[in-house]
Amino acid sequence: MHPRRGRSAIVGIGEVPTGRFPERTAIEGALQAAQQAIADAGLRRSDIDYVMPTGTLFSFQFGNELATARLVEELGLPHVSSNCQVFSGGSSSTNALRVASALVETGRARCVLFVHTDKLGTGVTAQGGIDLFSTAGISAEWEVPFGQHYSTVAALATTRYQHETGCTDEELSAVCVSNRKWAELNPHAFFRTPLTIAEVMQSKMLSTPLRAKQSNMLFDGAGAFVVTAAERARDLVQRPAYVLGEGGAVTHFVYSQEPDLTRFGWAAAAREAFAEAGLAPADIDVAEIYDSYPIYQLIAFEELGLCGRGEAGGLFLRGETWPGGRIPCTTDGGMLSKGHIGAGGSVSLLIEAARQLMGKAGARQVPGARFAVETATGGTYFDAQVTILGTEIP
Amino acid sequence: MSSPPAAPPRPRPVVNAWSRPFWDAAREQKLLLQRCGDCRAWIFYPRIACPRCGSDQLGWQPASGRGTIYSFTVVRSNAPSAFAPLLPYVVAVIRLEEGVQMLSNVVDCNPDKLRCDQPVEVVFRPLDDEFTLPCFRPQAGSGSQS
Ligand SMILES: [Zn+2]
Repeated sequence: MHPRRGRSAIVGIGEVPTGRFPERTAIEGALQAAQQAIADAGLRRSDIDYVMPTGTLFSFQFGNELATARLVEELGLPHVSSNCQVFSGGSSSTNALRVASALVETGRARCVLFVHTDKLGTGVTAQGGIDLFSTAGISAEWEVPFGQHYSTVAALATTRYQHETGCTDEELSAVCVSNRKWAELNPHAFFRTPLTIAEVMQSKMLSTPLRAKQSNMLFDGAGAFVVTAAERARDLVQRPAYVLGEGGAVTHFVYSQEPDLTRFGWAAAAREAFAEAGLAPADIDVAEIYDSYPIYQLIAFEELGLCGRGEAGGLFLRGETWPGGRIPCTTDGGMLSKGHIGAGGSVSLLIEAARQLMGKAGARQVPGARFAVETATGGTYFDAQVTILGTEIP
Repeated sequence: MSSPPAAPPRPRPVVNAWSRPFWDAAREQKLLLQRCGDCRAWIFYPRIACPRCGSDQLGWQPASGRGTIYSFTVVRSNAPSAFAPLLPYVVAVIRLEEGVQMLSNVVDCNPDKLRCDQPVEVVFRPLDDEFTLPCFRPQAGSGSQS
């Protein structure tokens, strides 16, 4: 048995709705989510000894407040030994879980509280969001001067992937439809009305072949989770979400240096995570796949081994990823339908993975879910991070 | 209706000292690449040491200026503010004959007729007095000249 398998667990989760909430400040969202997570874990405020905020994009000043212990003081946590930010853009959730797991497994911390909050829906203008993301994580010397931004980044992967696999625009649009089916069941999601493939394919062209409804939109949101060692987790809650396996690969900084825009590092990351977990892709009951654009959901699905190369589009088109389908995917609606909240995009997915395993997913609960895989990636998809959680330790 | 605000100036490359020869050459309409004096690897973008073998024995050599389109996209809308006046424009990842990849713009072309793996050649587009961007255009006979 792998020495790290199942030695830590997520024991509490908290989240506020994603959307446009001009009256809800970023700190308010963070505090609500953190209080929920502590209560959900059955902990007292005095049990939290490590606070791990992640990066906030809408305000440099506010982000620094979280890095310098504002949460500890506002929450009134009396026994915190460390307040330390862990931030890697969109993969912050998974990287934070990895750091938190290492801390609790070695006894360096007992209960780690991770918190994300951002205000990209009402804290910046629409064009301000585009401009912010035309520089965040994009090389100022080698790509910004050529007009690279997040739509072109996704479009470049999509064009090449379609060229190599024959994936159709209809299949790409089917990813958006699948995520919307789940969002319809999620009260925390922003887009909750039914969506059709035709609506996606008729939406405004952004950067070929990428259309507006194949692009995420930016919103306000916040989430939190608590990580502790497995032996302690069993005493705290009925169904901890054990961390069974983690794997990662960093493949580029400058996007155009990525050697394979149709694969990235997912296969290596997944091999590592599945080996650590002692599981195979066929064992997965629910897949929370990072979906800032549909192309990344298709690529990750295939590279994780959930289906063969070029087959993912068909799965989404046939509804196998929908509620009631064979392999439920991105069950909170994802960034495409729940909404993109900055580094919180994958925090949502990690919380949702834990929520499904804890049996707390309400109308969208996947019955009997035992094993979940979650993926996350930061910047211009510079890394591939894979986490496998479970209700039991194989 | 108020008129849209004027677009900000196009962003200039934020340059490191060790990549200055690349930009100086581009202003003279030459495409230079670093090459490792030890393992002979071609290197882009410029580094302080060879990313393959770690050697700091790096020199500059002219590149062929020829390559192929690894992938591309035609930007139709929602561009960063500074690029809004340029719509539509083409962003592409170019694979140079020397085996390195770079992001660039494909110009002098019919954007609707571009395809992956299409042969392209370098062409220089001045940004201002200091910077000239190496861009690419379809090679003659490759089917999508404007
Ligand atoms: Zn070398």
